[in-house]
Amino acid sequence: MLKKDLSIEFMGVKFENPFLLSSSPVGNCYEMCSKALESGWGGIVFKTVGFFIANEVSPRFAELQKERSSFVGFKNMEQIAEHSLEENLAAMKKLKEDYPNKVLIASIMGQNEKEWEDLARLVTEIGADMIECNFSCPQMTSHAMGSDVGQNPELVKKYCQAVRRGSNLPFLAKMTPNIGNMVEPAYASMQGGATGIATINTVKSIVGVDLEKQIGLPIVNGKSSVSGYSGKAVKPIALRFIHELKTNEKTKDAPISGIGGIETWEDALEFILLGCETLQVTTSIMQYGYRIVEDLISGLSHYMEEKNIDKLEDLVGKAIDNIIPAEDLDRGYIVYPEINKDECIKCGRCYISCYDGGHQAISWDKENREVSVDKDKCVGCHLCSLVCPVKCISKGEIKFKNENENREISL
Amino acid sequence: MKKYEEEFENTLSPLVVIEEAGRCLLCEDAPCSSECPAGTSPDKFIRSLYFRNLKGAVERIRENNILGGVCAHVCPTESYCKKGCSRSGIDKPVEIGKIQRFLTEYERKLNLNFVKKTPLTKEKVAIIGSGPAGLTTASELAKEGYKATIFEKSEKLGGWLRYGIPEYRLGEEILDHEINFIKEQGVEFILNSEFGKDITLESLEKEGFKSILFATGNNTGRTLPIFEGKANVEIAVEFLARIKKQQKNDIGKNVVVVGGGDVALDAACSAKLLGAETVKVVALETLDKLPASEEELRIAKELNIQIIGGFIPELVEADKIIFKGTDSKDKIETYCDKIIVAIGQQSNLDSSVRSKKESNIFFAGDIAEGDKTVVWAIKRGKENAKSIIEFLGGVK
Repeated sequence: MLKKDLSIEFMGVKFENPFLLSSSPVGNCYEMCSKALESGWGGIVFKTVGFFIANEVSPRFAELQKERSSFVGFKNMEQIAEHSLEENLAAMKKLKEDYPNKVLIASIMGQNEKEWEDLARLVTEIGADMIECNFSCPQMTSHAMGSDVGQNPELVKKYCQAVRRGSNLPFLAKMTPNIGNMVEPAYASMQGGATGIATINTVKSIVGVDLEKQIGLPIVNGKSSVSGYSGKAVKPIALRFIHELKTNEKTKDAPISGIGGIETWEDALEFILLGCETLQVTTSIMQYGYRIVEDLISGLSHYMEEKNIDKLEDLVGKAIDNIIPAEDLDRGYIVYPEINKDECIKCGRCYISCYDGGHQAISWDKENREVSVDKDKCVGCHLCSLVCPVKCISKGEIKFKNENENREISL
Repeated sequence: MKKYEEEFENTLSPLVVIEEAGRCLLCEDAPCSSECPAGTSPDKFIRSLYFRNLKGAVERIRENNILGGVCAHVCPTESYCKKGCSRSGIDKPVEIGKIQRFLTEYERKLNLNFVKKTPLTKEKVAIIGSGPAGLTTASELAKEGYKATIFEKSEKLGGWLRYGIPEYRLGEEILDHEINFIKEQGVEFILNSEFGKDITLESLEKEGFKSILFATGNNTGRTLPIFEGKANVEIAVEFLARIKKQQKNDIGKNVVVVGGGDVALDAACSAKLLGAETVKVVALETLDKLPASEEELRIAKELNIQIIGGFIPELVEADKIIFKGTDSKDKIETYCDKIIVAIGQQSNLDSSVRSKKESNIFFAGDIAEGDKTVVWAIKRGKENAKSIIEFLGGVK
């Protein structure tokens, strides 16, 4: 299969490709990471280590479904590593020795400054290429750790300074999305010595309630807890936070490792186009396995071949400037939907959605089951094209509003 | 009304093919992929499609099978990949052949070309016959740098794919597209060149061919004494071939096809699509044991072709044929102006050649053992390429 050079330099470290396991259940021991690296992943963010050893619940996952799709969103209650720090350090050391050309990122989490500094030193000694500081796990059983820390810029800065004292390695600060403005903690981490940002960690969630037992999911001896939500459903949230960091003066130069619902090469490319140089994946690996990296690599290679792009870095950030404040968008025209009657299968879904969720601009000829657009009522929202099951509604005629002049419009 | 010249089955639309791929369970050690004689891995190309890597999916097919598009159209998948599909544990198998067909059509429409091209620096190999086995061997040899030349006795390439499988099941442009890939690999084709007449073992050796593969297929239809000398009788393989050569006259008004395999059904459906008023298929096998593929039977049903199982032909007269039951005293007397005999084929390769034991001579395709399907011919073609390379001292 076609394999372009997908290598990229990120925070001074060379990655053979940008695809990494994120710090999570998928990188929990040597055997898992070894299988992943053999499958083609460019590197590993080993599951967060700390002096704290997690005691986990059973079961610990739940999923959100929609129609026929499982894992639209995924809820996870696992905390940081369940193995001892010694075991994890030994596993990471062996990984780096056995896979010297792959990148090993050690994720760490301390409970106080001393622990952060010690952990940074320990993972540096075993040969990690990079450190990631986990300021963002939303399901820790202690409030001295996890996303409670990540919501507090002062604490983030202080702990980053501790990590910098313990290591000279480049390090990422992993951010929580359980916050309105990510710039503040991200900027604080950079001021504390972080080299870059990893984002997003999981979103605090209740994914569902068992209706018979009237308990949240998953049920742990009759109760449940709020915990982190991930998977495809959070991708739009992740992209928005990343764009925010990439457009704010304080953080726009920070290198970013993007995380949040990446399954396909198209998802990955979206993160790259919004400024990420490496990408981290967990949920889709939990659902489908490490093998998904084959199509991440192949799909991205074909895209680069088609667009005549030789270096991955040439794609980084290409879409950032094309997302602008709502007040700056061109509001001077309407583009009307155009229904291809040859392809229409006469289901009437566009009619229903336009009537009940739009502007009653599609008329329904009951006898012939035919739809047509009433341009006097249509506002050009294109809800109809989104619900059409055969995608036979496209963008048609453009009408300029009031005093707006005729001009070229990029649709 | 459907036409002989038009594909009977439409290719799935992009929306539907994504839905169909979504039915795939993405199994561990996928059973579909161990069932394909040609070594195709549906699990991998469906996974690539599932994760929206269409070009990668095409590559997965093409790198393994130079006739991937032909296979997608003609393979009786219910006997191979679909048979293993774990989705059957929920409802019904994933339509693997239809997905492959979508992907190879996508490849053709976008003019994608993922065929490996290797400089041809190694020995010359002669291949007699351009059916699926010969084409596959030639392509595999070219991938490894051998100079393969195919000698074909007809005026067009493809063997059974060209002169056997009817147009409504396999459009000629699909075959031509894949043969073109093989041409681009540097394989030479010599048309109108028949073994024993235009070329011999001696002439080939004199021309420097170090190895010779016979991939001549089972190209002669069998018949029975009761059919001999009867003006209204035609052998199915000859009937199918002349139609492909555009001789579409003399189809008959009321046609009876004797036989129950794919060739019998191809002949019956071709006759019906070309204007026969009634077509009956009478098979030796009972209906539950008909060798014809699911797709053939479905097309026949849609064309309102009557299929009768468990009867053998007993007597042929000018305007009728009489059958007797295989396990009953029943008789069928049916009036017809055309009888097409499709009771199997055999090789017409000279037995003195067939018995050659020289180590540089190989036999492939339908003249070797195995299922008589295109996908098996491809399997044999690959195996022969491997044997030839080993014989020539290369490693494969």
